[in-house]
Amino acid sequence: MEILIKNLSKIFKGDPKKSIEDTIAVDNVTIDMKDNELVGILGPSGCGKSTTLYMIAGLKEPSNGEIWFDNEEVTNLASEKRGIGFVFQNYALYPHMNVYKNISFPLTNLKVEAYKKENKIESLVLENKLLENIKELNEVIISSSIKNKISKERAILFLIDKYIISPSFAKRLYSYKLFLIEDNTLLNNRVKEIKEDNLKEIENIKEKYLRKDIKIDEEFYLVDRNNERIKERRRLSKDEIDLMVREVARLVQIEDQLDKKPKELSGGQQQRVAIARALVKKPRVLLLDEPLSNLDARLRIKTREEIKRIQKETGITTVFVTHDQEEAMSICDEIVVMNQGKVMQSGKPIDIYKNPNNLFVAKFLGTPPINVFKGLIKEDGIYVDNEKVSSLKNNDYINKEVYVGIRPEGFILNENDEDLGISLRVKEITLNGKDTTLTLEHDSFLGEEIKIVVDSDLALSIATYRFKVKENKMFVFDKESEERISIE
Amino acid sequence: MENKNNYKGWLYLLPAIILIVVFTIYPIINTFYISFLKDYNYATGASTGFTLDNYGVILGFTEFPSNITGKGQVEAFLRYALPNTMLITFITVPISIIFSLIVAVALNSIKALQKFFQTVFFTPYVTNIIAIGMVFGVLFSQNGLINDIFNLDISWLPSAGGETTYFHAMVVLCIELIWYEMPFKILVFIGGLQNIDKQYYEAARVDSTPTIKKFWKITVPLLSPQILYISITSFIDGFKEYQAIAGLFNARGTSPLSYNLYTVVYFIYDQIQTGGRNINYACAAAIVLFLIILLFTFLQYLVSKKRVVY
Repeated sequence: MEILIKNLSKIFKGDPKKSIEDTIAVDNVTIDMKDNELVGILGPSGCGKSTTLYMIAGLKEPSNGEIWFDNEEVTNLASEKRGIGFVFQNYALYPHMNVYKNISFPLTNLKVEAYKKENKIESLVLENKLLENIKELNEVIISSSIKNKISKERAILFLIDKYIISPSFAKRLYSYKLFLIEDNTLLNNRVKEIKEDNLKEIENIKEKYLRKDIKIDEEFYLVDRNNERIKERRRLSKDEIDLMVREVARLVQIEDQLDKKPKELSGGQQQRVAIARALVKKPRVLLLDEPLSNLDARLRIKTREEIKRIQKETGITTVFVTHDQEEAMSICDEIVVMNQGKVMQSGKPIDIYKNPNNLFVAKFLGTPPINVFKGLIKEDGIYVDNEKVSSLKNNDYINKEVYVGIRPEGFILNENDEDLGISLRVKEITLNGKDTTLTLEHDSFLGEEIKIVVDSDLALSIATYRFKVKENKMFVFDKESEERISIE
Repeated sequence: MENKNNYKGWLYLLPAIILIVVFTIYPIINTFYISFLKDYNYATGASTGFTLDNYGVILGFTEFPSNITGKGQVEAFLRYALPNTMLITFITVPISIIFSLIVAVALNSIKALQKFFQTVFFTPYVTNIIAIGMVFGVLFSQNGLINDIFNLDISWLPSAGGETTYFHAMVVLCIELIWYEMPFKILVFIGGLQNIDKQYYEAARVDSTPTIKKFWKITVPLLSPQILYISITSFIDGFKEYQAIAGLFNARGTSPLSYNLYTVVYFIYDQIQTGGRNINYACAAAIVLFLIILLFTFLQYLVSKKRVVY
């Protein structure tokens, strides 16, 4: 589903008496999030990204603007009616419920409009079908045994997993205890008996419906005399809930943790449970608030891949909020960079990286971050400290000071070029294996230290070198507005 | 572990230990001891051996000895004091817990005037129960406010003039107790509620949980440690009820010679006031009360193991 945010604002009212000013958390934000995409809202803390997410969720009321889900305006729709799944920053798993109950909780509130189905007949037909292959059925039950002992609970779980059936159905299959009959003829006779009983029961049920002028079609839905399926509004049954919980538990790979309390799980597992709880009711949108911030570095990388996988598998439009640019860059189809309540830039991660609109976006994306120097545009090009770094220029800015940002990978060691280049003093050399990170100094640099990435084959020492600058890795910004200046 | 500096710790604890031994431990042991003595003489401390008769008499297994007075009063233990104590506890404690929970949840959900209402609900806590008893006495008197408002003519309380029924007297007592017991519970519940992470409710809201379900499935389980603490302490307080009855009724029964408004602690105090003649019955009653409290606390502890989430 597409989410459209139009001119959205959130103002937290201040108190004039205590001279507390209004805080503009979100300022006239417009974002278009396309169907089936993973969108990351990215920004430093306090930039209004979480507030925006909470407004999409309906947990905070916007002061101004509109929110649309496809063609439906939801700005004033209560959160519970929006059909969203929300993963909170600290998961908000109910500590007193086990994983199964946590995941099934949203389903117990759900009311569905569905066609009336005759579940009894469906399960009887399915049972007869499964009994055809009695060998496999018995093998499944026997394979659940530990040390040659078969426990009822475990056997039922195995049946549920194998045939994807409801617990009550699995219980029934188990209760025939067919795996105990060793003699083949006896077994076949017993199976035949059960099948015949089932067929009889099916006929009985059908007859009862016929008296009420209701038929049952081949998919076991009830059909009235006009040949239309009968609808009903009801809560989900225990069996339906069980199927959905197990399905989503398999999706996030926590099917063996269902009996545990959240406390007994690791951070990553809790995260999965939270995602499962958000996904189980098949929401239109999945919203995640800093989903990875509570995980350690390795788990973070693993989990973000996982989120990507789950999003692709379910195809649900997903919005997630993060302050970690690497996280957003690596998994998002689209990112929205925010600062001080405003959208700085949005688009595909790589496009934004290659073409930042302003100094903030340039600085925020990329590790190591972009290196920004004080520069000057002259008639014949861009200068940093009397060294000409590029012959490109912007004629409106002749003899004006500007900021020159160069990506860490934008430097090439070139001692011989007389015309273009920048001299930097090497302070520290860090070998990363496939490349080398240099920490350098320069008098016109803004900030602490310059970090650049060069080929690991270069043999460098602590000295001053001259580097050439790749022009597609260099951006020039206005000194006042910090907006990007085009150069040619 | 290190052991050498242990004596220093004991030294610091000594003042408290001395007080506890003198005023709590010794009386407990002594009470237990006296409750088994035969023909105990309070003045001389003499006795003629050990017996279970003290328990037998108050619990109705043994005949009251014919050589001393106070038969009716002692027999009132089994007939009135124990049932009344149970009744008061099992009516007032659950009701006041439920009311307090509702008030706490309501208070916690409002913003405006929250502090004001908190103070209003807390006032009974800082008021003396005897004073409250007198106020209730006025409210529920024959020509008092309650009769006036509801246009009744009921004699609620045992007083010099009118006759009252046991039922009416108990109703007033229970109302007073429920009202008096609420403030502390509300305070504890509000503290507990404010510790519950708001995100649980936001999560529940996103999942369209009805309000009642939020209360039962989220608030109550997450508040269960406080509820357990409150229910154990209030059951103990309920079993020890005396002051409220003395303050409200200033009588032992609805008619001058009756003991039908007795409670266990009231009985114990009365037996002590006989000048020590029947103090062995007071001791036996105290031990019975102790066992009852122990039993119920243990039961609640068992329930809590299943139901309380920490």
